[in-house]
Amino acid sequence: MRSISLILKQFSRSVLLIAGLAMMGSAAHAQGDAAKGKGIFTTSCASCHKLDKNGIGPALGPIVTSDTNDKWLTSWIHNSQALVAAGDPKAVAIYKQYNETPMPPFPQYSDADVADVLAYIRTGYAELQKPDNAQPPVVEEKGPSTMMVLGLALVVVLAFVIILVLNRVVGSLEKLVSKKDGTYTEQDELAAEVVKAERKAKVMALVMNKKFVFFVALVGFIVSFIWMWIALWRTNVHQGYQPVQPIKYSHELHAGVMKIDCQYCHSGAYKSKNASIPSLNVCMNCHNAVKTESPEIHKIYDALGYDPEKRTYDASKARPIQWVRIHNLPDLVYFNHSQHVKVGKIICQDCHGPVQTMKEVYQYSPLTMKWCIQCHRRTEVNTKGNAYYDKMFAVHEMIKKGEKVTAAAMGGLECGKCHY
Amino acid sequence: MLAMNKFRILGASVMVVAATVMISSCDNKRSTGWEYAPNMYRHLAPDADQENKVFADGKTAQLPPDGTTPVGFARFDYAKNRDGYDLAAAEVKSILPQSKENFEEGKVLYMHFCSPCHGETGQGDGLVVQHGYGAPPSYSKGNSSRTGGSMKDLNDGQIYHTITYGLNSMGSYASQLSPEERWKVIMYVHHLQTL
Repeated sequence: MRSISLILKQFSRSVLLIAGLAMMGSAAHAQGDAAKGKGIFTTSCASCHKLDKNGIGPALGPIVTSDTNDKWLTSWIHNSQALVAAGDPKAVAIYKQYNETPMPPFPQYSDADVADVLAYIRTGYAELQKPDNAQPPVVEEKGPSTMMVLGLALVVVLAFVIILVLNRVVGSLEKLVSKKDGTYTEQDELAAEVVKAERKAKVMALVMNKKFVFFVALVGFIVSFIWMWIALWRTNVHQGYQPVQPIKYSHELHAGVMKIDCQYCHSGAYKSKNASIPSLNVCMNCHNAVKTESPEIHKIYDALGYDPEKRTYDASKARPIQWVRIHNLPDLVYFNHSQHVKVGKIICQDCHGPVQTMKEVYQYSPLTMKWCIQCHRRTEVNTKGNAYYDKMFAVHEMIKKGEKVTAAAMGGLECGKCHY
Repeated sequence: MLAMNKFRILGASVMVVAATVMISSCDNKRSTGWEYAPNMYRHLAPDADQENKVFADGKTAQLPPDGTTPVGFARFDYAKNRDGYDLAAAEVKSILPQSKENFEEGKVLYMHFCSPCHGETGQGDGLVVQHGYGAPPSYSKGNSSRTGGSMKDLNDGQIYHTITYGLNSMGSYASQLSPEERWKVIMYVHHLQTL
């Protein structure tokens, strides 16, 4: 019954909507096909505009609904910059209002196409304004908190304790009852004591047994030796380290699904010692427009002092995001990313593992000296087209021919040789 | 009897070893584990992306003072507006030799920095766009350039201005691409404009 009434409700609503749209279309504006307009809107307008919210450009719903001068709107869409250049007061005012951000011209759309788009914006916005279509607040699902897990464990432990205590109480109560009844005699008590003494004797025999004691000691020694061996080998090796980062950034999504190259964010890897953690403007290249609702993205906005409604930055509220460093080489090691990536042509995954599949990044390689040395032993060097090796080989050739090799031939005149 | 005992002892030892290995391998991934002499491991000299208490804002990577030019950087004194764009269009020319190596490097840089949105052939159909980001215009088709001109005709200065400052949905790539790298990218974009 309920489903039938729901269907009826939906049906009546859509009939009303269609009727309303038809009225609107015939009353105020030139006819436009909203469905066709939606297609054009998604391909050409949606990158900057939304119906009900400000994007790169203003929210179009309220503007286009209140502005009924379709002829002017059409010429603005065809070439807004021409209108501004011609000194149209309305166009200049809008251009100034939005920080002189130019809207690209769209001369490829005919007047009919533009009418379709305008129809779509009006009907789409009207639909969004209806209270039924207001989106319900998204309730975030959260896993059980640590407090909850701890509480549950506590309850289980408490239950065990209570059972034990109750058992004891029941036992002593039974003893009392049987004493009162007179069924509990001294003989019973004696028998119970004998059982206790026997148990004690058994334990003592085990403790005094040299073979058993030796066995226990041996096992203890083996266990602690193995534990120590493993613990010492792992000291200062952070392989598998996966700290909690301040923002739940997924490499799997960005590098795996979207196939954004590592260099896009870690642009230092090819030209400096450091692979570099991207500054937040790199995030904002996309996230000024996508996933603007996500609480994780709002952490970026907060760190930048960015107001997504007004699209303005407040530098006084900005503070850096403190990512937790995962890969750390000791201070006594010099490692240069560009040397390995640009000259050695090693791909990032060789050392960092399949980062494009990691939701949360962890340290894949041990980064121990043994690990470095192993690779340096195996890797053949491609010396061709490398000026450093060209000079080195030239000097070697001179030595082979028995020519005089000066310090200058080996770069001894470079400033940095002395003045480093 | 003794032989039985030996077997038992051996069996028990094997089990103990296995149990220890298993227990000690369940370590906490959120912790770095034991550290010996951490003062040798934690850097005294901070890396560019590390915290630094010396500066008021706590960052090691400080901006260069106003009016200075970093080594290896060419100045680009054109304003971030339409006037600067038009001026750059008229005056700025590539500083790079149009060599094959530069073209190839430009292609790699284009693939890494631009293709996520602009697509591998510059048609505005990159993977990020396919996942819902607003599509940029094609380099070779259409007249939706900033001035209303053809995208094909965008010249050195115009593209350089856009990469440096960004335009509409596109952010500035000045922090990711050095001036020389930008010119390499532009070489490849000029190739895509002919497709």
